[in-house]
Amino acid sequence: MTTQSSLDGIYYDGRQPVGVKATLNISGMGVTMTGQVAAQHYRLADLHVSPRIAQADRFINLPDGGQVQCPDSTLLDILPQETSEGLIAWLEAKVVVAVLGIGTIITAMLAGYFYGLPLAAEHVAARVPVETERAIGEQGLAWLEEHKWLQPTTVSENVQTDIRQDFDTLRQGLAQESHYRLEFRNAPVLGANALALPGGTIVVTDALVNLAGSRDELAAVLAHEIGHIEKRHTLRLMLQNSAVVLVVATVIGDAATLGVAGVPAVLAQAKYSREFESEADEFAFALLKQRGISPENFAEIMLRMAQQDQKSKSKQPPGFLSSHPLTQDRIERAREAARKVDSQGAGSELP
Amino acid sequence: MTTNQEFPDPAAGPVDVSRVCTASDAPWDERNDLLADAIRLSAEKPAEAEAQVRRLIEQGININARAGTERTALELAAYYETPANIRSMLTCASREGRAQASTPSAPPVAVPAATERVLDIEFRGSAREYFRIWAVNLCLTLLTLGIFSAWAKVRKKRYFYSRTTFDNTPFQYLGQPLPILKGRIIAVLLFLVWYLSSHFFVALMPVVIGVAAVLAPWVLVRSAAFNARYSAFRNMTFGFNASYRDAILTLYAWGLIPLILIGGFIAWKWQQPMLLGIALAVFAFYVPFWLARIKRFLVGRTLFGGTAGKLSITGGNYYFIYFKAGLIVSGLSILAGIAVFAITKTASNLAAGEEIAMLALLPFYLVYVFAYAYSQAQTGNLVWNNTQLGPVRFQSVLTGRGLAWLYITNGLAVLLSLGLLIPWAVVRSFRYRAQRLRGLLQGEWGTFRGSETSTVHAAGAEVGEIFDLDFSL
Repeated sequence: MTTQSSLDGIYYDGRQPVGVKATLNISGMGVTMTGQVAAQHYRLADLHVSPRIAQADRFINLPDGGQVQCPDSTLLDILPQETSEGLIAWLEAKVVVAVLGIGTIITAMLAGYFYGLPLAAEHVAARVPVETERAIGEQGLAWLEEHKWLQPTTVSENVQTDIRQDFDTLRQGLAQESHYRLEFRNAPVLGANALALPGGTIVVTDALVNLAGSRDELAAVLAHEIGHIEKRHTLRLMLQNSAVVLVVATVIGDAATLGVAGVPAVLAQAKYSREFESEADEFAFALLKQRGISPENFAEIMLRMAQQDQKSKSKQPPGFLSSHPLTQDRIERAREAARKVDSQGAGSELP
Repeated sequence: MTTNQEFPDPAAGPVDVSRVCTASDAPWDERNDLLADAIRLSAEKPAEAEAQVRRLIEQGININARAGTERTALELAAYYETPANIRSMLTCASREGRAQASTPSAPPVAVPAATERVLDIEFRGSAREYFRIWAVNLCLTLLTLGIFSAWAKVRKKRYFYSRTTFDNTPFQYLGQPLPILKGRIIAVLLFLVWYLSSHFFVALMPVVIGVAAVLAPWVLVRSAAFNARYSAFRNMTFGFNASYRDAILTLYAWGLIPLILIGGFIAWKWQQPMLLGIALAVFAFYVPFWLARIKRFLVGRTLFGGTAGKLSITGGNYYFIYFKAGLIVSGLSILAGIAVFAITKTASNLAAGEEIAMLALLPFYLVYVFAYAYSQAQTGNLVWNNTQLGPVRFQSVLTGRGLAWLYITNGLAVLLSLGLLIPWAVVRSFRYRAQRLRGLLQGEWGTFRGSETSTVHAAGAEVGEIFDLDFSL
């Protein structure tokens, strides 16, 4: 530290936004400022230099309120630093670090998306009681009724009682057993359908009851909906989707005005919905087997629904955008599950 | 109002600003005088006038050759190579009296008056530099589950401030990560409360909305104050001098009318289309005036060197822009609708409907982008061209077409590169905006007066106040 070194810059006194040329001569523990200003002497320890950022000019604050703006130089490293951003600045200067950083970002995002997020959401959901979701479910039901999507059922009391009986058999001994409620509604808009509302309410449409060829077929659909609730899909989907939106917003953040932020989020979320459908299917197959009903019934009713869809000529959206796995896949998996029952017998563990 | 007044032509690609700047070191006034001389001479001594202009072009002057089109030296050199061209330019200029030297200022977009000095705004960074900063900070943000985002914001702002020069001096960002982190934690908590109440505890919703309405003016003032206080230029920090009460008056004084209308709409669920129509019309009419009010408040309360900013716009100005943007949307939507109809019709004949139906949304998206770009450009110009800060005023010449091109190309680049070109797109947008904005100084920088408390040194010492919060993104 014996060599004398100097920095050329512009001095601003802070009283007027007018700069004059100045030179800082650093020697030992002191600094002398000369130039178009009255010569001044400062202790090195009293100066504070702004953090390095790219190769931009830096600002040296003097103890009397003055400031010298000067080009970046390694000489500035020996001055007291204003903040401790030095390490970040050092990382930012390296191309290798940037490349590694991009690699880490991609790895972290993929790992989070495929493993971390679903796992975390599952753990959180397991700790939140189903009751908290009830409000959402009730709101949803009220909305659907208010807008005439759901109307009073025309299914006879006898049939309802039969189905309720099957439903009770299905839910017996499940973790959320006490929260389930079964509702029948006439819903011309929805066609043959069943809905699992958050909080444990399952709505079956009249068209579905009429479409089903047997009680077991209807039970297969109910088992699928029970799977959604038992596996806490509503809450997990909400948690996972909000996290995806947050991450996408953080990454895109800068470029938010480009108006493309929504696209990746929507694409990413569609995958989760599809996975939950498959998970509910798998749960349903195992539950049916346990209760002595063949998953073949699930395949049957899926076929009936598909045939009806064909009649009403509504096409499936392309696979990657769809939230339901393509019907053919689901039917095949149900049949496979049914074959396994035949070979292994009933009573397998629920997933 | 005219949009054809541009500094550089975007179609010609980025102008090499550094070359123009080094060449145009001659003082502005002197160059204007020389040009005025040349125009006077052109009538009787064309040869001398021509030589004069050649010298000016060599020096790199920016000349308004024709009404409104300012060209840089490099372009001019190519244009006026031949004596005949230079002569025709001079005759044209002297006849129209449009050369810079003799043009009186005509707001909102005016060529500088003879006594004004141009203060260039330049962005001196590069996509390469910003890419490294972006990658490192984003990586650390993700690895720390978002906590590092406050530090990342500081680095980003520091970069863009330090790389932006005004009259050849960079800005300085002084914000510290901890107040930003505090602000973000509070924002996340507020968001959670809102999210939970909107989904789970609906009965609480009115209370949450009420609290948000009370907090909004406070958030507005805190953020504006933080940003002003921690932005410095030439060792003088900016200031924002407004109380919570001022913000309430700005946001809500006339806001009660649309609030009652909208509140009534939500609470009583007005079914009559008539009432709904009236409510929406009043609201649509009111919004531009409200925006103008907020802008005037933000600019008018910003201080630099003891001088408060002044923004002289009315809601009427905004109204006009939004009205035209509305016309663009409806006009282009009809065209897009016809195109989509034609495409889907052919497509359904070919029995390949579904995928093409997705593409059919594209024209509407483009219409939206164009209308957005138009209103962004026009409102940006409106605000800058009517802002006065002591002896400094501004000229902004953004164009809707330029911004739309920027948005579309940036969007494509980001999508196709899976996000890797985000830093490039951000830098490009920033540079474009900087290129199309400049200041004009009438008088001296010395008119601004700093104080003990406005030095960077003083701002650094007070960091850590309890209400030192930043909520802005």
